[in-house]
Amino acid sequence: MNHDEAAKLLGPYRDGELDLAACLKLEEHLAGCPSCQQKLAGEQELVDLVQSETPRFKASPFLKTRIQAALRAETVSGAIPWWKHLSLGSTLSGLAGVAALFVILAFGFFSTQAIPELDQDAIANHVRSLQVNHLMDVASTDQHTVKPWFAGKLDYSPQVIDLASSGYPLIGGRLDVLDHRNVAAIIYQRRKHYINLFIWPSDTDSLPGRLFSQNGYHALGWTKSGMNYLAVSELGEKELRDFVQMIQDQTANSRPE
Amino acid sequence: MFGVEQHRDAAGNLSQPDFQQVFLPHLDAAYNLARWLLRNDQDAEDAVQEAYLRAYKAFARFRGGDGKAWFMTILRNVCYTMIKKLRSHETPEPFDEEIHHTVGESEMQEAFRQRANAESLHAALEKLPDEFREVIVLHDLEGLAYKEIAAVVGIPIGTVMSRLARARGRLRAEIVASNAKESLP
Repeated sequence: MNHDEAAKLLGPYRDGELDLAACLKLEEHLAGCPSCQQKLAGEQELVDLVQSETPRFKASPFLKTRIQAALRAETVSGAIPWWKHLSLGSTLSGLAGVAALFVILAFGFFSTQAIPELDQDAIANHVRSLQVNHLMDVASTDQHTVKPWFAGKLDYSPQVIDLASSGYPLIGGRLDVLDHRNVAAIIYQRRKHYINLFIWPSDTDSLPGRLFSQNGYHALGWTKSGMNYLAVSELGEKELRDFVQMIQDQTANSRPE
Repeated sequence: MFGVEQHRDAAGNLSQPDFQQVFLPHLDAAYNLARWLLRNDQDAEDAVQEAYLRAYKAFARFRGGDGKAWFMTILRNVCYTMIKKLRSHETPEPFDEEIHHTVGESEMQEAFRQRANAESLHAALEKLPDEFREVIVLHDLEGLAYKEIAAVVGIPIGTVMSRLARARGRLRAEIVASNAKESLP
């Protein structure tokens, strides 16, 4: 990779948007190019500044009420003709449903059938936790406060990891219901976004470790040392993957409990 | 399923509570983008409300997938329609090439470090052309991936990459330049 090519890829490299092959080539060039190193540092500095110093404008509560009222008015006035009922949309989703069922039956992966449901439930829990002012039962940035809080409320003790130094501070915990049981929800913050990390013992199923996305929310679950982990957020896919990687690295370093 | 398919009425409409449950969580992201594009509270609020009504009417055409990107696309269209009306009389301030190309890379970084603060950043970001400002807001503030930005803005991923690079380059230059102008006698 020559210098000009490398210089163009520094931004995408910082943003985690390069594939592995391009990453390796760029890193090879970076190692011997002080000019690119300096540029990359500058890029990082600029993005850090933007992320820490730019106001993220927040909608007023009044706007939300106004929109809700406008939507209600819309429903009352906007009657939809009967033939819309036969729209392509419902036909297609019906076909997709049949196709999905066929795939599941054909491959005999009966256990995977439960997985998207679990992801959807987890996303629903995440949305609800943000909506009804019930994000946290225990608000604390101290893992030694959050972890003991679960004692007596669950029949297992979730490992609580703080990632404040990596930009994903722990902010609290909550008791939630998922997979037909009580689970620990550990809450992290990334700028103005939240991540719910659900943790519970994996009795039989393992989570497949692949990303599920719906309506701008992402869920990523995995199983490690007998525990299921499921991280859900409205954060971008890349940042959620970074977060999951850090949690996985940290759980690897300590003994399962 | 989570809300969307299950709770439509006989006419195929998504029921009110479910539409709100799916899309209202994106209210702050939508407002932030609208506010940065339109630069005042009132216009941003109007744009966001208009976008929700349009999304609600258009929901029958939503084919699933990334709802946030879908909604932000609608919002962005509303914003640009408003911008055309509001700013048809304005001429954009020319970009001062003189100042921006007289300093080398390391001097530039040094100057940047001295002058970078919340105030200069805000002013610089407001000065960027809309197409540059929006990619910075979507990527660096809202955390959208290149792929998602490509969908919202309606451009190829390669263009997202080059546009974001130019936007950041110019943002840095503006921070350095605005202060340089002030420090002149």
